[in-house]
Amino acid sequence: MIFVIVLVVVVVLVLGWLMLTFNRLVRLRNEAEQGFSGIDIQLKRRADLIPNLVEAVKAYAAHESGLFEELAQARASTLSAQGVAGAADAAGKTGAALGRLFAVSEAYPQLRASENFQRLQEELTDTEDKIAAARRYYNNVVQKFNTSQQTFPPSLVAGPLGFTPREFFRLEDDGDRAPVAVSL
Amino acid sequence: MTLQQQIRANRWRTALVLLGFGLLVGVFVLVIAAAYQPGVAGFVGIIAIVYGIFSWFASGRIIAAASGAHKVEKADQPELYRTLENVAIAAGLPRTPDLYMIDDPSPNAFAAGRDPEHAYVAVTTGIVKLMDQRELSGVLAHELSHIRNRDVRLMSLAAVLVGVIALASDLLMRITIFGGGSDEREGGLGAIGIVVGIAAAILAPIGASLLQMSLSRRREYLADASAVEITGDAEGLARALAALRADTQPLRTVTRATAHLYIESPLRDHKGLRSSLGGLFDTHPPLDDRIARLEEMGGFTLPMGPDPAKA
Repeated sequence: MIFVIVLVVVVVLVLGWLMLTFNRLVRLRNEAEQGFSGIDIQLKRRADLIPNLVEAVKAYAAHESGLFEELAQARASTLSAQGVAGAADAAGKTGAALGRLFAVSEAYPQLRASENFQRLQEELTDTEDKIAAARRYYNNVVQKFNTSQQTFPPSLVAGPLGFTPREFFRLEDDGDRAPVAVSL
Repeated sequence: MTLQQQIRANRWRTALVLLGFGLLVGVFVLVIAAAYQPGVAGFVGIIAIVYGIFSWFASGRIIAAASGAHKVEKADQPELYRTLENVAIAAGLPRTPDLYMIDDPSPNAFAAGRDPEHAYVAVTTGIVKLMDQRELSGVLAHELSHIRNRDVRLMSLAAVLVGVIALASDLLMRITIFGGGSDEREGGLGAIGIVVGIAAAILAPIGASLLQMSLSRRREYLADASAVEITGDAEGLARALAALRADTQPLRTVTRATAHLYIESPLRDHKGLRSSLGGLFDTHPPLDDRIARLEEMGGFTLPMGPDPAKA
């Protein structure tokens, strides 16, 4: 009799713990999902600035066609990117292409002085800051999510319940923001 | 994770405090019901509930009006607003809270609103002038942590509950003293009503102060820790707090009722009388202590600036 009672108590405790663990992991997974779409929104916003930037630069430096091509490709890859790794890859390319654009613009004082270009540059800087903020949030959540799965005892059940660790949003070249930040 | 544990502990404490408050209200209602006819108790109850619901939905605006804060748009303060947007994104809030400004040279900031969807952050013109962007990010992250941790909601709720009790006891005293149909009421019951009214009138503000203190002091540490998680920059917030420490002007428009909302005690006598009383009635922990914790978190040491309190 006592054995049965103990067994029932143990089973109830284990089920309760399972429920809490499952709910916590689901909540973190949803937060991570939401965090990633937050990054995605800002990346798309940055990609949408590219056509206007290209127009502005073309007015002063029409012959930089290689650069325009690179920017168009970067934009296309951002808009079609799949998953965290894909988005990070496209974001890295876009950052590098924009960096080159601003490096090139150094050679055209009239372009740099134009109000339109300055406004676009300001907007781009703002978007870059927001990408960085969204990445911070996403990576914070992913770290919590992964740690929750890897610590003991949740590590015993996370796999069977269908949870897998998520990738961090890392840019290969984290120096890609530097050229944009210069001289406002 | 210590932060997660702190948040969980805070939720428990919140539930306990609300439970205690609920019991208090229950006892209050029982005493009224025993001392008055059901008609009077019902009348007072309905007025109190209507008043409570109204002030719950208006709490944000009431606080803004009481502290002299007015709403500003992105176009008015583009740089500050962008900083707020970025911090809100990094905090994972569903939307950027509204931005309010207080025309006051004393640097301070607070957050208010009944839930994250209706929350706002108010800053004084003084703090915007005093601080650079990095320090402001720390301050805003601290305020957004209050919103995210639902501190702001709890404090709004506490203010509303205290207001309801104060109103109910006030009404009861008026009914008891001036009430019509006095022939229906026996003298003894009238006396009970006066005693209850007076007791509630005294206890309500004390209860409010206790609530503020038990909640807000611990929450300041927690909000500091959350702010560091959001910005990843313990030093920025520590510098902001050091700048607040160096400042001694008190805020002009502040009452005891709104004191707990601010990032740093707006009454500005943290080295004065209240400290010598062991800080029992402080709404905020000492800045030195908060800065020391941030230094430990970030692994740095701020250069000690001139401390005006020691001069």
